[in-house]
Amino acid sequence: MINFLIVLFGVTMLYVAATSRIEAYVRMLVAQGLVLFLLVVADWQNFHLLNLLFLAVETLGFKAIIIPWFLRRVVRRNGVFRELEPYIPNFFSVVIASLIFAFGFVLAYGSLDFAQDIKPLYFGVSVSTMLTGLLVITTRKMLVTHVAGYMMLENGIFLLSLSMAREMPLLVNLGVLLDIFLGIFLLGLFATKIKSTFDESKIDALTHLRD
Amino acid sequence: MLIAILILFPLAAGVLLLALKSKTVNVATIYLYAVLHLVISVWLWRQPSSLLPFFLVDDLNILFLLVLSVLYLGVAFYHGDFLKQSGLSPRWHTWYAICLLLFNCCMTGVILSTHLGLLWVFVEGTTLASAPFIYYEGNKAALEATWKYVFICSVGIALAFVGIILLSMSAGDTVSLFFDDLGANAGKLSPFWLRLAFPFILMGFGTKMGLAPVHAWLPDAHAESPAPISAVLSGTLLNTALLGILRVYRVMDLAGQAAQARILLVAMGFLSLFVCAVFVLKNRNYKRMLAYSSIENMGLIAVGAGLGGVGIFAAMLHMVAHSLGKASLFLTAGNILGHYGTKDVAGVRGLLRVDRATGWLWIIGFLALAAFPPFPAFLSEFLMAGAILDGGNAWLLVPFFLLLTVILFGMGHSVMQMAFGDPNPSVRSQRTPLVNYIPQVLFLAVLVAVGLAMPAPVYDLVQRAALSLGGGR
Repeated sequence: MINFLIVLFGVTMLYVAATSRIEAYVRMLVAQGLVLFLLVVADWQNFHLLNLLFLAVETLGFKAIIIPWFLRRVVRRNGVFRELEPYIPNFFSVVIASLIFAFGFVLAYGSLDFAQDIKPLYFGVSVSTMLTGLLVITTRKMLVTHVAGYMMLENGIFLLSLSMAREMPLLVNLGVLLDIFLGIFLLGLFATKIKSTFDESKIDALTHLRD
Repeated sequence: MLIAILILFPLAAGVLLLALKSKTVNVATIYLYAVLHLVISVWLWRQPSSLLPFFLVDDLNILFLLVLSVLYLGVAFYHGDFLKQSGLSPRWHTWYAICLLLFNCCMTGVILSTHLGLLWVFVEGTTLASAPFIYYEGNKAALEATWKYVFICSVGIALAFVGIILLSMSAGDTVSLFFDDLGANAGKLSPFWLRLAFPFILMGFGTKMGLAPVHAWLPDAHAESPAPISAVLSGTLLNTALLGILRVYRVMDLAGQAAQARILLVAMGFLSLFVCAVFVLKNRNYKRMLAYSSIENMGLIAVGAGLGGVGIFAAMLHMVAHSLGKASLFLTAGNILGHYGTKDVAGVRGLLRVDRATGWLWIIGFLALAAFPPFPAFLSEFLMAGAILDGGNAWLLVPFFLLLTVILFGMGHSVMQMAFGDPNPSVRSQRTPLVNYIPQVLFLAVLVAVGLAMPAPVYDLVQRAALSLGGGR
């Protein structure tokens, strides 16, 4: 069951690499948040009750509901629904994402000899997710997509830290601090200032400071 | 106890300032914290203490703490006039002061942390506390710089966190993430995970430190933030990220995995030199020029640290030389901006005629940074060249000196163009208060003293920091 969830998590990333509809990114973020929530619940014996509650609120409330909802509002308000002219065509980004996943699994199985209690599937999928998140950030142009890509990077990190939950429950909680940045990005995107100064909120507009 | 004052004072003062919202109290608090910080740092230097288990003064971080104290003292006094001229409303004036206090508090936290996770939290804190300063001018360019700063740094911080997770995989459930524990049990760490962790930590904290190729935020942020903040960003923020890298580098060294770390550090260092050399030649904005020079100097420090042995001593000395020299230049750049109202090199001519003192500070600061004797950067770069020869890769000297020469030419060209010649007719010559010169004179005087005849306590400080990293002369 857990393996199925993790594979599902990986599939959401492949879909993200394939599509250019921003609302699809948001939906995949919801799916990832739900998967992380279920994984936390399945791992319940590693956490104290309060900690478990905190992580449940974090994954279900924050990652699966509030952030996607905010992103969606930003998309609707700016009236931009598609990622326009990414730096590389979607076809190639799927190919690259698939290669990243292949690399992730090779790395995971290569690490089998060294792993103490680390589950290779967790490790492979989370590394691939982080790299695909970076791919999304580097190849897309919209600021909203960048924020979504950062969120995916962060979800990958959360998954990785879950695989360490038994040894270091502290790390899982520390990772939540990354959400503070996300909150700031969202505030930035949401504040009317961004809309009025970055025309069309594309990073192409971020080229006034250059050499 | 003393450490608790360093960390808690800004938090308590922040609440008080928010309640009072008085400009006089804001400035007084900034001064008070600066003096307090220096006094406590010197005290901790003479009598190291700890606030266990999370904060500790040791041979390595006391050097960073003293640099932070001295620099912050100068910058705090520069703020006196800067804030008066800024015309901020009492509300924003208060927030400015609070952010400044918190920023310094977070940097102090990074320096004194004994736990990798805690260090990481404070690094995140520095990003949050310093972001508002970059948006200071409130225009489109400032917004762009702020977005880049926060976004790129947060991706970097996320990657550093991945490194921390991998490091704890390497440690398993027997070793904690306290630096002492990691160092003492380095032999038990799993080499596979350790080798995987270091590149993530280097890339992550390297983003914050401004090493190429992950330096993209740095020129924008330094150019857009107000002059005294640029001085703090360049002079101390980059150092704190360096400390994070050095702590993990030391663990790698003790675990017998230093070879990979060294190659990565030297490679990123040379790449940083190259990036600076390329951009400084076609530079048009003098604050960006200083920012690129920070990338160069961080690169030099990374090269020195990567070379090991004498190189580490050189890196520590270079850190001191760069922090004070660069802070002095950034503060002087603030004076220039006050006179000319432009950040373009082309818009600034005849600085020596407009304001003799600022002009000379600009030239002398440049000489300090360009490693002319008697400034300590000369000694540190000389020792670095020696360390390259010791390492048996003499050919590295060719790119080393070539890139340094190109950078020297590029910066020198702009600096001389600005200092000499006839002033532009449109320049509004205004009186600059004495307090806008004193910090730079102080920094440069310290550097000359260190460079001419290094006082024994200073030598001891640098040497012990280098020894604690497994280097030294």
